[in-house]
Amino acid sequence: MTPAEIAARLRTRFGDGAVVAVQDALLDPTLELAPERLHEAARFLRDEDDLRFDFLRSLAGVDRKEALEVVYHLLSLPHRHGVTLRVRTPRDKPSVASVADVWPTAEWHERETFDLFGIDFAGHPDLRRLFLPDDWVGYPLRKDYAPPAEYHGIVTTREGSLPVTRAQVAGRPQVQVAMHGAKAEELPGYMRVNMGPHHPATHGVINFLLETDGEIIRKASPDVGYLHRGIEKLAESNLYIGTMPYTDRVDYLGAIFANHSWALAVEKLLGLAVPPRGEYCRAIASELNRIASHLIATGALAMDVGAFTPFTHWIREREKINDIMERICGARLTYNYLRFGGVARDIKPDVVDTIRLWLDHFEPILREFNRLISDNEIFVRRLADVAPISAADAVGFGLVGPNLRASGVHWDLRRDAPYSIYPELEFDVIVGKGFRGVVGDCYDRYWCRVLEMVESMKILRQACDKLPEGEFWAKPKVVKPAANEFYAAVESARGELGAYVIADGTDKPYRAKFRTGSYTGLSIIQHLSPGLMLADLVALIGSLDVVAPEVDR
Amino acid sequence: MSDAADPLVKSPANADGPRVIEAEVYPGAIATRLDHAINWFRESSIWYLLFATACCGIELMQTGGPRTDLDRFGAVFRASPRQSDLLLVAGTITYKMADRVRLLWAQMADPKYVVAMGSCANCGGLFQRSYSVVCGVDKIVPVDLYLPGCPPRPEALNEAILRLQEKMHGERWAAKMKGQA
Repeated sequence: MTPAEIAARLRTRFGDGAVVAVQDALLDPTLELAPERLHEAARFLRDEDDLRFDFLRSLAGVDRKEALEVVYHLLSLPHRHGVTLRVRTPRDKPSVASVADVWPTAEWHERETFDLFGIDFAGHPDLRRLFLPDDWVGYPLRKDYAPPAEYHGIVTTREGSLPVTRAQVAGRPQVQVAMHGAKAEELPGYMRVNMGPHHPATHGVINFLLETDGEIIRKASPDVGYLHRGIEKLAESNLYIGTMPYTDRVDYLGAIFANHSWALAVEKLLGLAVPPRGEYCRAIASELNRIASHLIATGALAMDVGAFTPFTHWIREREKINDIMERICGARLTYNYLRFGGVARDIKPDVVDTIRLWLDHFEPILREFNRLISDNEIFVRRLADVAPISAADAVGFGLVGPNLRASGVHWDLRRDAPYSIYPELEFDVIVGKGFRGVVGDCYDRYWCRVLEMVESMKILRQACDKLPEGEFWAKPKVVKPAANEFYAAVESARGELGAYVIADGTDKPYRAKFRTGSYTGLSIIQHLSPGLMLADLVALIGSLDVVAPEVDR
Repeated sequence: MSDAADPLVKSPANADGPRVIEAEVYPGAIATRLDHAINWFRESSIWYLLFATACCGIELMQTGGPRTDLDRFGAVFRASPRQSDLLLVAGTITYKMADRVRLLWAQMADPKYVVAMGSCANCGGLFQRSYSVVCGVDKIVPVDLYLPGCPPRPEALNEAILRLQEKMHGERWAAKMKGQA
């Protein structure tokens, strides 16, 4: 359906006043509802055959000063159309109905919004803080939030205290860490284990609270926020371009993608076009970065299930990509490469030649890697048929990227919601087929990533050949978008990486929100884990390719 | 004997002084000072705790990888603090994590060292204005070496390990132990 048709359909159901006029053709129709009608509307939007909004892309809280607002970005995978839902709630007693029973992924999104904005979601199964510690005071993303001067004896400013000495730390009373232990009578026959936050197999600082019956997991609940750095709040006090280095750190394994989604959103707000050479530079950097990220994903998965050698092979290859990236944008890891209207530096012809050489070198290496590990009997048995995710679950829990496609769902933003120059390039979208076990198992997720590297190599070759002459950066005179908002998403190595930006006419964003792939990927673990063996949980986490800063931001 | 004249102690007068001297009495045996021997053993097997919290952790991985290869200095990663000599804080520390860092440090056996890798661990870096980030890991545990960069390159981390070896080489364990006995 076109946006106009959706708007008409919604008008007939919810009345003229509920549907906000679409400001321009790029935006999805927006439905503004009273909080008490939200739940009814959510069911209607999901269940009507011609609407079928089965995918909750993002759920963002906004502090509008006079009231709080919750914004839902919905997408229909069968019909490929979108809608935005908006609910206002008073500031002194904010409460909105929970939609966790309509879209399971909302459970975590709502917990996050509760944590950062203090909005109560009525009917939520387990509403507690997600990122911040339980004893934290206040809701940081509200505009009037003032951070505390001290937390657990640590001064919160950079100045104000000297480095601690050995004697001071030794003299402190024994550290009381809130380990989540349970009393024996609460869990007869079960044991509670904290896996993390400092654990080599959790891919960063994530804690899993496990209830186990011997080797079998009864329940695993992820406890995140150990790397919550408040990027969304910092973005509000930075210039638009000043947030670009922060986006690198949203996903440090795929920094270009977060750069890209941020640049796309702001460019749309500015109405800025990117010259073709700039777009090609972006695509080349993106695909190199995608391969680099998948190298870590597949290598770390192999390491997690006990094979160390493939990981060192991939680290070796990754160094070569890092060298190329360094020549493209001057940094090995945090690129800060994109600018509004283009890229910071041109890709020189000699770098293009290096990329071609590297591709020729990498192709046989990938075959060697597959001989080494992908067809390895032990490796296959560790992954095949383990923790399969059905297509319905994958969509409901908002999985994106290779995790979603491994479950057999065709959805790749590069092809289905095209941006940049991807429509001009030929590539296949890899979908899980049950390569070694059932569809959507750990091996499918692994193998999709390996095959995606091949596709990225295809894209790189085409992009290198087609790289047009001309400008690479159409530099805007001033970056000061008019009051408006936009949700832009790119296909990152871990799936949809969305940036939701609200502009208020000044040179700083009013609100910035990142929707990331690891976040929803992690939220499904609680649902999948009951009955798994402890060792299979490691394979599951590895196959979902979770990266901690993307979860916590 | 003053330090300047002591062939076993590195000093300006004796910058490349021999670290061990061959004994003439028993061929193949070496005579050296106890301090020197202990330091030599320790600095040649720095086992660091794999404590990668953020972006720096990726560079830490690359440093342990084939190109930079920290193993050649005897530095290998450990997953458990009980087996580690060095707490390499690679990344941002949040308030939620802070108590855990303290706990990990307390779980390590002496002698132990702390390297703050990257701007976040040094001072909070890019995130020092954030509501949830500790402005430097030295507010929680004592730091022996600060390594700047966001993130530092593998070469820089390599250098940090060498500098730490130098620092370890200056320790006077024998004298310390004598006082305790």
